[in-house]
Amino acid sequence: MVEAKNLVKIFGKGASVFRALDDVNFQVRVGECFGLLGPNGAGKSTFIGMTYGSVKKTSGQVTVFGLDPQSESRSIKKRLGVVTQENALDESLTVLENMMLYSAFMGVPRDQRRRRIEDLLEYMNIAHKRDALIQTLSGGMKRRLVFVRALLGQPELLILDEPTTGLDPAVRHLLWGKVKELRSSGTTIILTTHYMHEAEVLCDRLAILNKGKIVAEGSPQKMISDHSPGYVGIFKSEDGAKVRSLVKETTTHVHEDSSGVYLRVPTLEKMTSLVADHSLNPAQIRPSNLEDVFLQLTGQELSVDA
Amino acid sequence: MRNISFDSIFEFARLCVHISRRNWTVYKKDLIANISPTVADPALVMISLGLGLGAFITNVEGKTYMEFLAPGLTVATALFTSFFESSYGFYVRMTFENVFKAMLTTPIGVSEVVAGELVWVGLKGAFMAIGVAIVLAVCGLMTNPWLIPLIGTVGFLVALPCGAMGLISTALVNNMNQFQSVYSFVIAPLYFLSGIFFPIDQMNQYVRIVAEFFPLIHGVRLAQAIFWERAIVDTYVASGSVLVIQSFIFCTLSFFLIRKKLVT
Repeated sequence: MVEAKNLVKIFGKGASVFRALDDVNFQVRVGECFGLLGPNGAGKSTFIGMTYGSVKKTSGQVTVFGLDPQSESRSIKKRLGVVTQENALDESLTVLENMMLYSAFMGVPRDQRRRRIEDLLEYMNIAHKRDALIQTLSGGMKRRLVFVRALLGQPELLILDEPTTGLDPAVRHLLWGKVKELRSSGTTIILTTHYMHEAEVLCDRLAILNKGKIVAEGSPQKMISDHSPGYVGIFKSEDGAKVRSLVKETTTHVHEDSSGVYLRVPTLEKMTSLVADHSLNPAQIRPSNLEDVFLQLTGQELSVDA
Repeated sequence: MRNISFDSIFEFARLCVHISRRNWTVYKKDLIANISPTVADPALVMISLGLGLGAFITNVEGKTYMEFLAPGLTVATALFTSFFESSYGFYVRMTFENVFKAMLTTPIGVSEVVAGELVWVGLKGAFMAIGVAIVLAVCGLMTNPWLIPLIGTVGFLVALPCGAMGLISTALVNNMNQFQSVYSFVIAPLYFLSGIFFPIDQMNQYVRIVAEFFPLIHGVRLAQAIFWERAIVDTYVASGSVLVIQSFIFCTLSFFLIRKKLVT
């Protein structure tokens, strides 16, 4: 449905050249939810902009529905819904006025506009705000309205560009539920996020971008088992030296940052015996997750750039 | 390149209309504030210059100074209403409100954004010019009030290239503050040196030659012809065609410059 081949995007000229995408290859299949993860500035939004023709590629190939976004963006955009990173709603208009405008842009037949908007407002639980001015809405409500806007054209492909950044957990969970529903009703979804948990909950497959390159690709489970299998114990920084000394005697992995020392071992038994043998005092022991994969693959660069 | 077909032209026109309608929907929310400069500015000029200064000027090309000022004011209205909308207004929509980021994810492309904007400022210029002309005609400053609709065409033909000049400056400035330079060195000189306040023929020759490259002076000639019922058809042919050519050049240029801003 979406395919990138040797895709390169370079911004700027001369000394200030920046390679936002550097030989990127991947495919998004029909009906799946595909996650594009990476620290800020990794190239996620650059790619998203390319899918509907707002960012021009430097070289390589990108196709959406088999079409080239640079020459056939209008045909693509009729079948696409985008939850943009910025809300970009008309603040001085009401909810209904905003959505009427966008349903006209999307080419929804005049006699169906009102019905479709009401249905979607209902679906996103903001129907009671239909006559409110945008500037009076909370951040979570605006975000839900941006989802309504993206769904007006009944898209085959829904692009979510950091859909839940800055939202409280309640709204985030509501939106996750909606994304899952849309996915099971057959909508293909591309999601960018820097919340690993979000990606793990929603995505069938994902790719991790770092500095314009894809550093890993696969299902969340496969990524964890490929790059970071096992269990993670989290220790206080004071135990750092002690924990690090364990690396030599076992097949373990240690990551240390300001939040503590992360020790990963292949099995839970191994972890409990290590803890008992060396009288360690872990703050937490949990199965390894995407966050561990992410930290391992993007390393310290994450905390510097993010 | 996109294939040019009847369908694609129809779709283009449809989207442009929706963009113009969007601007109208937002505009009418704050109608009083939006309309006040267009009403107040010409009124101020009429009172201060027409009544005040005009008392000392008894004969300009055989007219009172009030009569002389009147046609130019309709054109000045078209200039200001279009330039401010497509400079400050468009810049805010583009940079702070991110309106186009969302619009461009729909079937709307940059060509529709620019064309929709220009149609909007053109129509606004036409209606504002007509509004001012009605007031002036009521004051008895127009020989034949039935010609007021023609002032609408002048307003449109001036607002279109002036709006495009606004878009061009939007594409070129690095921040909103720099519009002040554009205003001081381009817009204000056009306002003062395009024959609104004194006869074009008496203007310094070099200044006049420069002014010929901008829309305002041609709009003033056309408005004066209509207000004073003087060689209307000939002036349409001469000044009107220049305005059409200038519109084409400025609008095309604005499209390419804005596209650079919206598509990276």
